[in-house]
Amino acid sequence: MLRALVVDDDREVRGLIASVLTVEGFEVVTAVSVSEARALLANAAPDVVILDLGLPDADGAVLLSELRERHRVPVVIVSARQDEAGKIALLDAGADDYVVKPFSVPELLARVRVALRHRGVSVAPAQTRYAVDGLEVDIECHRVVLHGAALHLTPTEFRLFARLVRTAGRVVTHRQLLADVWGPEFTEHTHYLRIYMGTLRGKIESDPAEPRFLLTEPGVGYRLADE
Amino acid sequence: MNARRDGWWWVAGALLGASMLSWIADQRVSLTLQAMIYLAGVVAVAYRGTRTQSAVTAVLSVLLLNFCFVTPRGTLRVDSIEHLVTLATLLAVALLISNQAANLRKETLLARLGEQRALRLQGLAGELSLLDDEAQILNVATSILREAYGPQALIVLSRPEGLFPPVDDVSVADALKHCIAESRALGPGTAFWPDLPTWFLPLRAGANTVGAASLPTAQADLAALHHAEALCALLAGAIQRARHAARAASARSQAEVQGVRNALLASVSHDFRTPLASIIGSVSSLIEQRDRLGEADRDRLLVRIEQEARHLVTMTENTLQWARLVGDSQPLRLDWQSIEEIIGSVRSRLRQRDPSRRLHADVPGGLPLVQADPVLLGQLLENLVDNALKYSDGPVDIQARMQNGALAVAVKDRGPGLGDDELLSVFDTFTRGAHAQGVRGAGLGLAVCRAIALAHGATLVARRRSGGGSSFVLSLPVAETPLVEEA
Repeated sequence: MLRALVVDDDREVRGLIASVLTVEGFEVVTAVSVSEARALLANAAPDVVILDLGLPDADGAVLLSELRERHRVPVVIVSARQDEAGKIALLDAGADDYVVKPFSVPELLARVRVALRHRGVSVAPAQTRYAVDGLEVDIECHRVVLHGAALHLTPTEFRLFARLVRTAGRVVTHRQLLADVWGPEFTEHTHYLRIYMGTLRGKIESDPAEPRFLLTEPGVGYRLADE
Repeated sequence: MNARRDGWWWVAGALLGASMLSWIADQRVSLTLQAMIYLAGVVAVAYRGTRTQSAVTAVLSVLLLNFCFVTPRGTLRVDSIEHLVTLATLLAVALLISNQAANLRKETLLARLGEQRALRLQGLAGELSLLDDEAQILNVATSILREAYGPQALIVLSRPEGLFPPVDDVSVADALKHCIAESRALGPGTAFWPDLPTWFLPLRAGANTVGAASLPTAQADLAALHHAEALCALLAGAIQRARHAARAASARSQAEVQGVRNALLASVSHDFRTPLASIIGSVSSLIEQRDRLGEADRDRLLVRIEQEARHLVTMTENTLQWARLVGDSQPLRLDWQSIEEIIGSVRSRLRQRDPSRRLHADVPGGLPLVQADPVLLGQLLENLVDNALKYSDGPVDIQARMQNGALAVAVKDRGPGLGDDELLSVFDTFTRGAHAQGVRGAGLGLAVCRAIALAHGATLVARRRSGGGSSFVLSLPVAETPLVEEA
């Protein structure tokens, strides 16, 4: 799972970007100041940084130059400042992109994907809505409906199902599923995956022994049917 | 030498005790009895102290008796001849007893040591007789030797790449290598390097020296050396036995590989020749009778060529897979699998071969996970279901249940069924049920299934169903699934 660090002192903007990235499948960490961001960066390097400029203890550009000294993490600047000279300076100083507030969420996501792609990490846009043959899923609203009736999934079941929904139609390997849903220490715990996929099939499939949606690729992984 | 110090306390105690008793009983008893009391003291010391201590007690007893109780009292002079004789006899007897007691003690100690050594040899022999593995033997040997000779005791085997386990101390390593090379005991009590504080003894089994032991020792006596050599001989024998066992196992598996190769050769000549002959015949007809054949005939021949070729492909795959399973030691990739998933993928793969949907599944929820290779297990079930669909017309059921502590997956059909003699032989390579003559099989299909089952530690049996048809039951062992945190 890709990690994103969102640095913005505005609570609403921070929350919006964080939730959008979470729905998209990122693991999000937030910071309200340059010093907090520094501490988080020292702990573990994220895969992408969304950086606001107007921070309480210093200008975001300071963090940008520190980042560039040590990491190769893609940085997308999000700021209300519009002056061209400023933008050019920041892009030259190492920012991968500059998005002006107010921004559109899909555009921000697309630019984050571009920034990652330029670093060799290719991320396809996540599918956050799914509707096939009576099964409807909305990841953002945390809702799963089967033939009109709402299904109740436990948090882990939902995380597992959402991971398959995001890449609907494509096979996700066992290791990837275990790492994304439970964490990198769990990549050998295949029994977790089997048990939870079993309960998901029990809740979603009319015949769990010949599934319509949750397909198994033996020895490889699982796939959510996209038609 | 605490024992020795304790001995002197005994000496003092015996002399004091005897003197006090004699003093108390002085006027009422004769000198002879007082002499006996002192003698008792000497005997006590003889059993508790060294030879010297009991001798000292003897002499001091006589002197004390003389000084305190023999007239004239307070001097060492003796008045009567009788008293002198008593004293002399007391001294002689006391010294004799103390000497004998000391000898007896020494013999008892030696006997106990001998018993201890014999028990150790017996224990080692017993433990070694259960072991087949060189590494295990080394472990047991090292712990027993350390118990007897201290934590510096070492045992090493000689291997082409050097000593095993490798020895850090260069001088010890050199001594061990020398010992192995010359197959000679070194150290105290032997003719070589008698001043070393350590024995270096070879592990000799017959004509081979398989290794050596380094045993620190304080004693240099021959009995101890013989015991150490006896231990080494036992260990050498066990190691030799382990090596022979390993060689025998390797020879057996080589023979198995040979057997597989032979069976493969038989397969190639047998089952491959017929379709090849058919292909050649069809091709020759097409070439030679090209002009005379009508379109329908040509099409028929071309279709036959394609079918035979496809059949050859299936047989080739089956043959290779069976050979791989029988020959390799670990071709499986085992992990926790859900039988519900494997059955599900088998059913979806067979969808195309089952247009009238004759295949039904009965898989209850809550079945335990099994350790299996999902691709091979899927192939096994696919083979069984494929057979059932081919050899029967009616419904085919695949059912999963817990039975006798194992996970039983059964593929059932309502076909012609198998005869009693066929229930076992149907799994042999290249056989086909008597009823199956009209339908083409791939010869090795069920043999491959059995090989996959065996590789999983499972059993695969064929049964006749009441009401007609066959049931092939795969019983998979179920281990305990590790716990999962609830979330």
